[in-house]
Amino acid sequence: MKQTIYGLLLLLFLALPPVANLMESVMIIHMHMQMPMLIFTGFLIARIFQLRFPHSFDKWNSNGIPGIILFVIIVVYWTLPRSMDEALNEQSMEIFKFVSLPLLAGIPLRDSWKRIGTVGKNLIIILFTILFIGMGWLYIDSPVQLCNNYLVIEQITLGWGFVTTAICLVIYLVYTTFTDPSKYE
Amino acid sequence: MQTAKSQTFKDKTSKVMGINKEDALLTKSYIFVAFMALLLGGILGLVQGLNRAGLLELPSWVNYYQVLTAHGLILVVVLTAFFTIGYFYAGLSHTLGGLLPIVRKMAWIGFGLKIVGFVLAVIPIIMGDASVMYTFYPPMAAAPMFYIGLALIVVGVWMCAFGAFINVANWRKNHKGQHVPILAFFATGVFVLLFFGSLPVAIEVIVMIIPWSFGWVKTINVMVARTLFWAFGHTLVNIWYLTAVSAWYVIVPKIIGGKRWSDTLTRVVIIALVIMNITGGFHHQIVDPGISPSVKFMHVFMSLAIGFPSLMTAWAMFAIFERTARKQGGKGLIGWYKKMPWKDVRFLAPMIAMIAFIPAGAGGIAQSTNQLDQVVHNTMWIVGHFHLTLGMSVVMTFFGISYWLVPYISKRVLTPQINKLGVIQTWIWTVGMIFMSGSMHWVGLLGSPRRTSFTTYGDNATALSWSPYLMFLAVGGTLLIIGVILQVYAVINMMFFAPKGETEFPIAEVEENAAKTPYWTERWGLWIVIMLLVVAMAYVIPLTEFIVNAPPGSPPFKTW
Ligand code: HEM
Ligand SMILES: [Cu+2]
Repeated sequence: MKQTIYGLLLLLFLALPPVANLMESVMIIHMHMQMPMLIFTGFLIARIFQLRFPHSFDKWNSNGIPGIILFVIIVVYWTLPRSMDEALNEQSMEIFKFVSLPLLAGIPLRDSWKRIGTVGKNLIIILFTILFIGMGWLYIDSPVQLCNNYLVIEQITLGWGFVTTAICLVIYLVYTTFTDPSKYE
Repeated sequence: MQTAKSQTFKDKTSKVMGINKEDALLTKSYIFVAFMALLLGGILGLVQGLNRAGLLELPSWVNYYQVLTAHGLILVVVLTAFFTIGYFYAGLSHTLGGLLPIVRKMAWIGFGLKIVGFVLAVIPIIMGDASVMYTFYPPMAAAPMFYIGLALIVVGVWMCAFGAFINVANWRKNHKGQHVPILAFFATGVFVLLFFGSLPVAIEVIVMIIPWSFGWVKTINVMVARTLFWAFGHTLVNIWYLTAVSAWYVIVPKIIGGKRWSDTLTRVVIIALVIMNITGGFHHQIVDPGISPSVKFMHVFMSLAIGFPSLMTAWAMFAIFERTARKQGGKGLIGWYKKMPWKDVRFLAPMIAMIAFIPAGAGGIAQSTNQLDQVVHNTMWIVGHFHLTLGMSVVMTFFGISYWLVPYISKRVLTPQINKLGVIQTWIWTVGMIFMSGSMHWVGLLGSPRRTSFTTYGDNATALSWSPYLMFLAVGGTLLIIGVILQVYAVINMMFFAPKGETEFPIAEVEENAAKTPYWTERWGLWIVIMLLVVAMAYVIPLTEFIVNAPPGSPPFKTW
């Protein structure tokens, strides 16, 4: 319950016009900070749904796969340059961003993450690693401006942001593959 | 199983018998170098202070900036690195049941590399070929030997970091499911920061500066170099801080006869500091060009975020003091403070260090603010700030530690005479630092620049108005050198001359009825990945800008 309230407060804070404007003024902060934080608010808000409607989650998302697919679709949609651009140009898209990332990505992520098991988790991380390398390559190498609202230098920055994030994910995968927690815990 | 058994046996023997000879010698050597550095650096500091006050004209064969470079390097790098490593290696030896032979060897190799590196760096300073100050900002360029020396020091530190990791991993294998003892947990955090924090500066020195100073490449990207430097410089600051905090959390409660504060929250503070730390480097670049104001603004949050665990620390410490004092019969809203052992230097020195952290931290928060920083940037205020944080909060904690650590590793005892000397030393240092740092802060507000040898700017009225404050600076500096001599005397005495005996390594217990610490606090692999993510996020914006939109690079300059 407390978590849900914190989540809502964070969502409210992120939606404040000065905060949203500041974060959206830098392309990489828009995509790599505002959006993950929106997902995180959903992650917190999810608590109340898990408490109130445990059965419907169990019924629809028993193995976590429907939820995680929904999460992936929403997240992939928001990594497209076009969708980011539209969020800045159209009020309705901006609202959709603030609704879809918490509700359709954050909540299913929380409910699914425990259910999909270690293999599922690692598969998702591998998927995102590949996606991020691809997106990084796209943004770094694109000779033209992909968004009306952001300059090419911002695009390149975002591209390197994707690549460095992918490197961190690889480090994590290597770490989980090559260390054996049962030796320590 | 066999090893596990013999390990626990060793655990017990080391607790009863004190530190083994080899580990003691290692820490003794590190601590000895640290305090020799204090002596040398202190003398150089006095020379600077007297010069700035207009009381001492330097002879023609030394240059103010040469002295300043040596003072900075000796105190910032040598004193702190050697003390931190010596202290934590003693802590690892004590809490993990002795160092592994391979780890001890690595720490000795690290010792050798650092000493060789230091000698290589000092030779060009003495020759007048490296007056670039401890920040060695390009395009000022020193002789290549200076940078090679710095690189060796970094590699030496890495040896010690990996030695610590090996020892901790080995302990965990033999103590499955147990929490790493708290002091070893602090050491892990510190060595993680030392390793990852020194990566950027190693890249700066090895990839960028050394080829440039040899003339293999013609130009250097100044902004990238500065950014890499401060990723390290700021992390180093928090390494000192974390080292001091380890003594405040773990040692001080034992000395006053109390218990440790919540184990879980202590570990959370350490993890938080490790994750958020490196990116704090940007608050040293508030006035630098090439970073947009909105990005700088967002970095204020990162810096203040580090302030949060620091404030938790302060709160926790005072809670412990009050609780302990009340248990011992302290009364009243503030009357309980009388129950504290003010006459015990092992308490007094870190206690004053903690109190000094209140104004020091407040100054730091002020400086994180763009407009306020514009007023004090590159003035003596900054010098006042880090003599308060480093010269007082951190170094006085180190002094306090020395009064039990040196007897512990030397198998000697702290005599009442040395304790008394320590108390006197503590007060002299306190008064000296208040004078020196106070006048530095003030004269900085009046505009006196840092890193500037004595000048009246042709008897300019503003510059003349600084004189009285600079005189106070010299008075403070004189008191401080007395403090340095007393402290070094005490260390030498405790190391070689004090009466033989056993001294305890004071580690406080957790409170009874404390909640169990969750096991996720031990997942260092995860914390390191999160730390790297935070670093990547923070650095990708300015670094891409600096590199993609780079101005023409700069050739080397010798400005002195
Ligand atoms: C005897 C005690 C000390 C005295 C009299 C002293 C005095 C000074 C003075 C006058 C400056 C130069 C200000 C300028 O021109 O910019 C300075 C700089 C500095 N001091 Fe000290 N100091 C003392 C101890 C320490 C200690 C214990 C530390 C740290 C452990 C320290 C760290 C530094 C650093 C990092 C600088 C800046 C160097 C630079 O700007 O490149 N000092 N000190
Ligand atoms: Cu800093």
